[in-house]
Formats: sequence, C-alpha cells, structure tokens
Amino acid sequence: MASTPPTKKESILDLQKFLGKGLTVKFTGGREVQGILKGYDPLVNITLDNCEEFIRDPQDPLSLTGEKRYLGLVVCRGSSVMMVCPMEGCEEIDNPYLTQEESTTAEEEN
Amino acid sequence: MLPLSLLRTGQGHQIMVELKNGETFNGYLVNCDNWMNINLKNVIRTSKDSDKFWKLQSCYIRGNTIKYISVPDEIIDMVVEEEQVVKQHQPASSAGRGDSSSRGRGRGRGDGSGGRGRGDGSSSRGRGDGSVGRGRGEYRGRGRGDGSVGRGRGVHT
Repeated sequence: MASTPPTKKESILDLQKFLGKGLTVKFTGGREVQGILKGYDPLVNITLDNCEEFIRDPQDPLSLTGEKRYLGLVVCRGSSVMMVCPMEGCEEIDNPYLTQEESTTAEEEN
Repeated sequence: MLPLSLLRTGQGHQIMVELKNGETFNGYLVNCDNWMNINLKNVIRTSKDSDKFWKLQSCYIRGNTIKYISVPDEIIDMVVEEEQVVKQHQPASSAGRGDSSSRGRGRGRGDGSGGRGRGDGSSSRGRGDGSVGRGRGEYRGRGRGDGSVGRGRGVHT
C-alpha cells in the first residue's frame, strides 16, 4: 500500500521498557524461548541473553515438557517472531472461563 | 468497511485473537498497525486444545500469524461514525485525469481521501477511490471515488 512506505516502519511494540528484563518469545513453528532482552530493532529482531528454550514433547509439539535447554546469547530473527511478552506478570492459570461462567450463573440466580 | 479500520476502531476494547497455530489470546487491544501486528494487555492465552491457560500482562502478536480476530459487536456502529467523520473532514479531491482523445487513456491519483476525476479528452471514465487511483477510458466514461484504494477502468460505449 502506498500509504505505508517501508521507511515508516516503526514498530508498535515498545521494547525499550523491557530492556534488561525477562522476555518470552514464541517463534513460528512453535519454538519458545525466554531470556533477558539486550537489544532490538524496528523489524523486531531481538537479542536475548541467557536464553533458554522450552523443550517440547516430540510426540506432541504443542505441549511443553517443562524441560529447558540453555542457548546463551541469541539473535531472534524478526520475521519468525510470532509473539513477544514480558516474563513479568506471566503465569499459568486454571481455566478462567469456567469460573467466569459459574460466577455469572451465580449472579443470575441472585 | 475496511478490516483494518474495524480493528483500529476496536482499540481499547476486548478482543479475541486466534493464531494460525490454534492458540487464542483474549485481551484488551492496545495498539495495531497496518500489518495487523497487535499489542494486547491483560491477556489470557489459551492453548490449542484449550487445556492450558496463561495470564499475561501484555503481549505483542505478529500480524501474519493471525488466523482471525473476533471483535465486540458494538464496534461496527463506531466504525460507521468514524467513516462519516472522515468524509466530512476530507472532502473529495481530484483523483482522475484523462488526457487523450483518440485513444482515450486517463490516469488519476488520489491523495488519501478519494475523489473524483474526469477525463478531458473524450470524456474518459476514471475511477479513483483512495490513496491511489487510476482511470482509463475510451470515448466515454465516468469517474467515481469513495474508498481508500483506487482502481481505474475504461468503459467502451
């Protein structure tokens, strides 16, 4: 599109505030890594230090085994970065939708 | 209604994003761009088989991995309003130009808002509607502009 020249390629992702903090990056293909953000560019190429990859189940690549593999300093290529989220405030939880439904039905009963 | 303007209007609202790999993300849309890259906050990430859930403070999703986005119904009314406002503030500007007589070929350019163009050779028909418009006509034509991306066509009569 002519209205979006490549020069205007500024990411909506502000990684500045995550510099030096833990970051989880998921790649196309399913790999997922975690590390300390050392640098980035507008194409969302990312450098991570002390990087660890989450090992997936070879039989079921969607599930994580909980094991990790140490990679060290890595450069993540922007084009294959699928998702970026800060490690801070990231936790696995129980099904939140069940509780929501239960609470709404409870409200309706009241 | 353009998909991306719908999405832009949805900023600040709760949306659900499903990725190509089947994972879904529920959260408030903070930001999006022309590549459909999006920023979410207060996210609940659900695995493909809906058996695992994560709570994320914020997350960034690359546009080309998105399968679809579901937005709340009320957004649709707001988009209509927005389009009207845009039309009011950006009156039609010239978008087409015809410049030949026997061959009847015209070309036009729009500058964002869309507009209307007219051939001056043999009344060529040009259609420009949007940021780039183009018109072509032979002998006779008409121009019309109303969108964001233009296209031109010549009509033979």
